[in-house]
Amino acid sequence: MPWKNQGGGPWGSGPKGPWGTGPQPVGPRPPDLEDLLRRSQDRLQQIMPGGYFSGIGITLIILLIIAFWLLSGFFRVQSEELGVVLRFGKHVRTVQPGLNYHLPYPIETVLLPKALRVSTISIGMTLIDDPARRGRSIRDVPEESLMLTGDENIVDVDFTVLWRIKPDGVGDFLFNIQNPEGTVKAVAESAMREVIGRSQIQPILTGARNVTEQGVQELIQKTLDSYGAGIVISQVQMQKVDPPAQVIDAFRDVQAARANLEQLQNEAQTYANQVVPQARGRAAQILQAAEGYREQTVAEAKGQSSRFLKVYEEYKKAPDVTRERIYLETMERVLGGADKLVYDGGPSGQGVVPYLPLGELTAKRPPTTGQQSSGGTR
Amino acid sequence: MRSPVTGMVTLLGLLLVVIVGYMSLFTVQQTEQTIVLQFGRPVDVVTDPGLHFKAPWNSVINIDKRILDLENPSQEAIASDQKRLVVDAFARYRIKDALRFYQSIGSIQAANIQLTTLLNAALRRVLGEVTFINVVRDDREKLMQRIRDQLDREAGGYGIQVVDVRIRRADLPEQNSQAVYQRMKTEREREAAEFRAEGGQKAQEIRSKADREATVIEAEARSQAEQTRGVGDAERNRLFAEAYGKDADFFAFYRSMTAYETGLKSSDTRFLLRPDSDFFRFFGNPSGRMPVAAPAKP
Repeated sequence: MPWKNQGGGPWGSGPKGPWGTGPQPVGPRPPDLEDLLRRSQDRLQQIMPGGYFSGIGITLIILLIIAFWLLSGFFRVQSEELGVVLRFGKHVRTVQPGLNYHLPYPIETVLLPKALRVSTISIGMTLIDDPARRGRSIRDVPEESLMLTGDENIVDVDFTVLWRIKPDGVGDFLFNIQNPEGTVKAVAESAMREVIGRSQIQPILTGARNVTEQGVQELIQKTLDSYGAGIVISQVQMQKVDPPAQVIDAFRDVQAARANLEQLQNEAQTYANQVVPQARGRAAQILQAAEGYREQTVAEAKGQSSRFLKVYEEYKKAPDVTRERIYLETMERVLGGADKLVYDGGPSGQGVVPYLPLGELTAKRPPTTGQQSSGGTR
Repeated sequence: MRSPVTGMVTLLGLLLVVIVGYMSLFTVQQTEQTIVLQFGRPVDVVTDPGLHFKAPWNSVINIDKRILDLENPSQEAIASDQKRLVVDAFARYRIKDALRFYQSIGSIQAANIQLTTLLNAALRRVLGEVTFINVVRDDREKLMQRIRDQLDREAGGYGIQVVDVRIRRADLPEQNSQAVYQRMKTEREREAAEFRAEGGQKAQEIRSKADREATVIEAEARSQAEQTRGVGDAERNRLFAEAYGKDADFFAFYRSMTAYETGLKSSDTRFLLRPDSDFFRFFGNPSGRMPVAAPAKP
């Protein structure tokens, strides 16, 4: 009895149903009743002529067959799946993961889409198996990733869209749309290009990641909702946003130039930080010197005037004597160390001229030789 | 016990009922709609999924009712400003009127071919009316709607409803892209040069500002120093005037004495003296001549 092992019903090796294998909503094959009838007829003919079985036996067999048929309605829904039960092709209910029962084929069939899984679509790059690195590596797909911006520049954008079936949209997902995955990808690419096409290149490359992701996500969602696709976009992640390879060096040079600008500024600032304090130092020096001069001058003046006053005090007590004394003392000191020549040449000093060694006098003028020459004239 | 003949007849009758019953039933899948044909003449369209009855001699045709794909390979179109652009669009459509669709086109394959032609025509027509930048930046959404509406109108005759047309890529042809790259490159180069020049300028500004500040600081210090010196000098003058003003005559004498001492004391001064000068008053005369004037000239 080969059909026992199939667990698929009493009709032998016929397929469990076109839906049983996965979520691909392929058009169903009409139940092949003719074939089934013919086969059971054959069986009956095999059994009947033998006469081994009485009517009770036949009834028993039929009951057994019915029992197996009814048992074939049990099915298991895995934790990431939902069970979508169709009665004659019509969606009648959706069941949660676990053991479930549907009316046996051909009345009801079940679809088991992986409705709770999050799927990923990458645009601008493909993940390829790379045996050398024992993992998957990324290969760029430039025709997907190069996009025009609103200011007629080109950027290289790789992004990933994470999507899953809406919690209450599994029916829409399965029955409304022919190629859900392809549609998500096409819509995502179109949405990204639309958003990029509205922006300027500079914000895209620098700060506007979040805004772009948000805008794209909303646009994809809106479009898919208008299709009734039963899909929710959980995230749009921009992976790489770069200038195209041909111009990336120029962009890097701009960065370098910006760094140069700061460097030059910093150097100048260093210079300024050096020069101004130095000037302050010199200014302080000048001020201190002036202060010193002032104090010195005042102190000297005070000293001199108080000396004068002291002498004056004495002078007032005996003017004539003091005056005479000062005069003489001064003359003593003045004349004490100098060369002297007393000459009585008449009242007007005539006749002194021939004796004056004027040559020597003039020769003595340079102060460097003064001392030596004076010694010689004595 | 029945005779085997009666049994066989019953069985055959049962079989006949089953076959006829099977032939008068048909299922409509959730994703499909079904046209019922009576000897080729359409008699009914069933869109409601589930089990349905028909006359045993009627045949059925299933037609998809989901949203279907139409991928259009990229096309070159010319915008109204004569710029060429490579456009890659896709459409999503569904079969609204199964009977009309079946009669006018027949299959989805044929529909795709037909729609591609119509889509390209609509695309070129609409894009030819606007500028390149309208397509890329300003009016993308509006243009897509216009193309959709045109396509929908034209495809309506085939029982097709166009759900959406979206421009996926609207790019420049390869040669133009190269020009764009070149322009981007030169723009960046200009930007970099600007940054560098700006750096030089700012550095110069900072340096000269610092130099100026330094000069000003020193000059202000010098100015203040002169004032301080002046204060010192003034004080000195005040002190002297106060002291010396007490006796101008004695000051003249005293100061002269000091001046003689500091001005003439050095050993390189030589004096030519007359013996009758006041200094020699007692030189040859212990009683002294009468002084002519007390502080005599030397």
